[in-house]
Amino acid sequence: MLSAMTAAASMFPGIIFASEQEKGIPKGAKLDWKKGPCRFCGVGCGILVGIENGKAIAVKGDPNSRVNKGLLCVKGYHQTMCIQSKDRLEHALVKKNGRYVKTPLDEALDIVANKMKETIAAHGKDSVAMYTSGQSTIPEGYIASKFMKGAIGTNNLDCNARLCMASAVTGFLTSFGADEPMGCYEDIDHTDYFVTWGNNMAEMHPVLFSRMLEQKTRRGANIIDFATRTTRSSTASDRSILFEPQTDLAVANAICYEIIKNGWVNRSFVEKHCTFSKGLTNMGYGLEDHYEFTDKPEKISFEDYKEFLKDYSPEKVSKYSKVSVKDIKYLARIYGDPNKKVVSFWCMGVNQHTRGTWMNNLIYNIHLLTGKISQPGNGPFSLTGQPSACGTAREVGTFTHKLPKGVVTNEENRRLAAKIWNVPYERIPSKPTYHATEMFRAVDRGDIKFIWTQATNPLVSLPKTSRYRPGMEKESCFVVVSDVFPTPTSDVADVILPASWHIEKGGLYGNSERRTQYWEQMVDGPGETMPDAWMFIEVAKRMGFGDLFPYSREHHVEEIYNEYSQFHEGAKHGMAPLEVLKKESGVIWPYVNGKSTQWRYNATYDPACTNGEDFHFYGKPDGKAVIWQRPFEEAPEKPDAEYPFWLNTGRVVEHWHTGSMTRRIPVLHQAMPHAYAEFHPEDAKDLGIRNGENVKIVSRRGSCTLPASINERGLPTRGQVFVPFFDENMLINDVTLDAFCPISKEPDYKKCAVKVVKA
Amino acid sequence: MKKRLGIISFFVIIFIAFIGVWNYSYYQSLEEAYLPIIESPTGNYIPAESGVFRRFKEDHLDYENMPLDENHQRSLEDYYDNRAYLGAPPSIPHPVTKEMSYGANACNQCHKKGGFVDKFKAYAPVTPHPELTNCRQCHVTVTTNSTFREFAFSKVEPPKVGEGVNSALLGGPPMIPHQLQMRENCVSCHAGPSAPKEIRVSHPERVNCRQCHLPMTSKQLEMDVSTFIRQFNTYNEE
Repeated sequence: MLSAMTAAASMFPGIIFASEQEKGIPKGAKLDWKKGPCRFCGVGCGILVGIENGKAIAVKGDPNSRVNKGLLCVKGYHQTMCIQSKDRLEHALVKKNGRYVKTPLDEALDIVANKMKETIAAHGKDSVAMYTSGQSTIPEGYIASKFMKGAIGTNNLDCNARLCMASAVTGFLTSFGADEPMGCYEDIDHTDYFVTWGNNMAEMHPVLFSRMLEQKTRRGANIIDFATRTTRSSTASDRSILFEPQTDLAVANAICYEIIKNGWVNRSFVEKHCTFSKGLTNMGYGLEDHYEFTDKPEKISFEDYKEFLKDYSPEKVSKYSKVSVKDIKYLARIYGDPNKKVVSFWCMGVNQHTRGTWMNNLIYNIHLLTGKISQPGNGPFSLTGQPSACGTAREVGTFTHKLPKGVVTNEENRRLAAKIWNVPYERIPSKPTYHATEMFRAVDRGDIKFIWTQATNPLVSLPKTSRYRPGMEKESCFVVVSDVFPTPTSDVADVILPASWHIEKGGLYGNSERRTQYWEQMVDGPGETMPDAWMFIEVAKRMGFGDLFPYSREHHVEEIYNEYSQFHEGAKHGMAPLEVLKKESGVIWPYVNGKSTQWRYNATYDPACTNGEDFHFYGKPDGKAVIWQRPFEEAPEKPDAEYPFWLNTGRVVEHWHTGSMTRRIPVLHQAMPHAYAEFHPEDAKDLGIRNGENVKIVSRRGSCTLPASINERGLPTRGQVFVPFFDENMLINDVTLDAFCPISKEPDYKKCAVKVVKA
Repeated sequence: MKKRLGIISFFVIIFIAFIGVWNYSYYQSLEEAYLPIIESPTGNYIPAESGVFRRFKEDHLDYENMPLDENHQRSLEDYYDNRAYLGAPPSIPHPVTKEMSYGANACNQCHKKGGFVDKFKAYAPVTPHPELTNCRQCHVTVTTNSTFREFAFSKVEPPKVGEGVNSALLGGPPMIPHQLQMRENCVSCHAGPSAPKEIRVSHPERVNCRQCHLPMTSKQLEMDVSTFIRQFNTYNEE
């Protein structure tokens, strides 16, 4: 193997980019390049994996992909290296008398099926739950939904995308009535200004950021970084504006105030295509178990909205947001200038927010007031963090309230699902049950007696793991974990199932710009590893639902996709046929008459527009988008005398989410071996903390000890500590708060109060 | 009479004014010398790791359009020649005009942005840290080749460069085989006509270097970081 690699290495002189790589491949090289999407983030870069003798030995960017045009980031270039990790889960492990015993997979699946059946018999359908992932493929998510909602008949299905994308979804639904961005990445090539809202794209969406930098150099496009922390993105941007955590709500309203005050409203657009609404306020923060909230929208007039905005003059907002009046006016002027195109990007800063839905609404307000939406180079763009958060979690709908098309509360949607699934309509319950946080609370309370997680690591990624780890360890709940590597979550499992990794199975992912990408199996997995979808099917068969899952092991990906795409037929959400997906490096939906729809709601590009106007927001019954009156409200927990610092958590370029894959790639681990706590240099001085010294971050929920980082990767504002969450040995989520947005139920990982002591 | 009154009142006003001014000036002189402390605004720091962006933004060095002058390019051998060891500050290989001169108005004239220097028939190497202007704190001239006593220091082999030697995966982007402190601005050595030909990058316009290229080893830590070890591992069967 090694000699093969060195031999192959000598055949590739100076490889940097795919195009150069391709030129460098000598004729007769035995490498077979197979296309697919990257395993990691939601950007959805196209990759080519070099296969030799059944092993993946190289990765390069796919030059045909319109997402990344041949470029990748460091995680992408080394992704396949993780599957060679020595602690790969290759066989099923079943816990017997406190020890994990290697068990044939067939037997382990019998145990899972029996346990699930027994639990349902003893405690009812709603005592079993499944927690899946935005990394599950489209077929995997579809089968999970069909299995839980169609076969068993419970809505106890949610996924980790609740932790990252739920606010984006509710934002889209409340403002436009249809999920996912209207624009696409090509907006980057046309815009004059990029405004990034609490988003460190240089590290988190590096390939898109490099496209932005390219536009900056070539065309003089400007990047404005609006954040609570100075990062690589801030230093690369033309202007970095820092704000006090939570006050983004007020600043967004202040921008709208200025737009209206200065007459920058696009009147004809607003009159034709927008309505105004307000919802309930003082919704709470979901801190208590069984918390429920339903918004009550109420139509208002433009005058009411103007009146409401009077509290958000730049002068007033500047006082608590710590953004200068000049900077607020500067931002407003960018959005307000009718001759400049603006793209807003955001990701977790806006979504992981106790008022995340509101924040999404507010950014849409700015774009709607100015009419800068759904046109090349003009638009709000919500980025995603997982490779198929859009494709699987949102489009297939692996949430408790969702169905592959529509929601469980809608009878028509339930009837369609029942028809395609060939199950009695009455079996699909009409009431949503547990969202992610509440699901793990139910496990802790003992309400859920059986939980099965796939492709996710909740005991590192949930907020307040200090409650949910002991909760999952309880005897009252039987835990099944399907994963590729052992994680803190598999440590509490009763049965561990060995899953196939990305290229060891075929599948489809859907990225942030509505692009669906197909790949076929490239290599064989080790031991008894099995694709997640096939594990569900095996268990479903053992539970007597075999007739609902008549797929073949060999072709199940294709068969399932063809069944699934029936849900989305039509001009509003049509999916591309498999033959097209096999040929192309991803295709954007709605795919209508052999063409991708790049800008939805715009009659020039979108065949689903039927009102005869330039724009048609057909997601809403009246064809109009909604401008929401959403006020500023305080965070649930603010720094005080006892806990004087804000805690903000996030990611780093080297690691992806909980690091179970990237930390097993030596290059990435060696560059970023452990987490750290970032301080503002003056706070560090006041606390007497030196760089690298261990500090203990303590909240009302738990503590975490990490080395301090001063003036290195990033700089939080004064009074704020930043900690990346990838490190399972330094679990910062033991410290975080499980408050969430009442509308989206997405937790806020960016704000809680902590104190810092020397460890 | 009226005239006299006028004159007297005029002097009285002058006198009162004098007392006023004198008092004011006396109390002013009693006040302690005081300079108000202006708090430095927060967030005005720049993270050490983002040097490359700073350079790209502030100095507008157009690396992409810089000429490639094959007759006057440096080699990596030249590059290491005036460094005592790997990562040492380079010595100044040319005579300096004024011993009293200071970076900002002397060295930085050529080394901030580079360019062809006819006198030496070479392109001036670009410094990765133009903000540090007390150049000769670290960079010294070579005035003799003799040694004071015999010398046993042997130079460590510099990291290898070239096809695939620093790549973690076949065809992968090469990792950074050297320390980054003081060298956060990658393009200053890896791009432009003064870059050693062996390490010149084909795509300096990409700017966000560390999106793909990572340091091979991180700073020294107390824990063993050679591989990632799970500390919570509870598997007890081999």
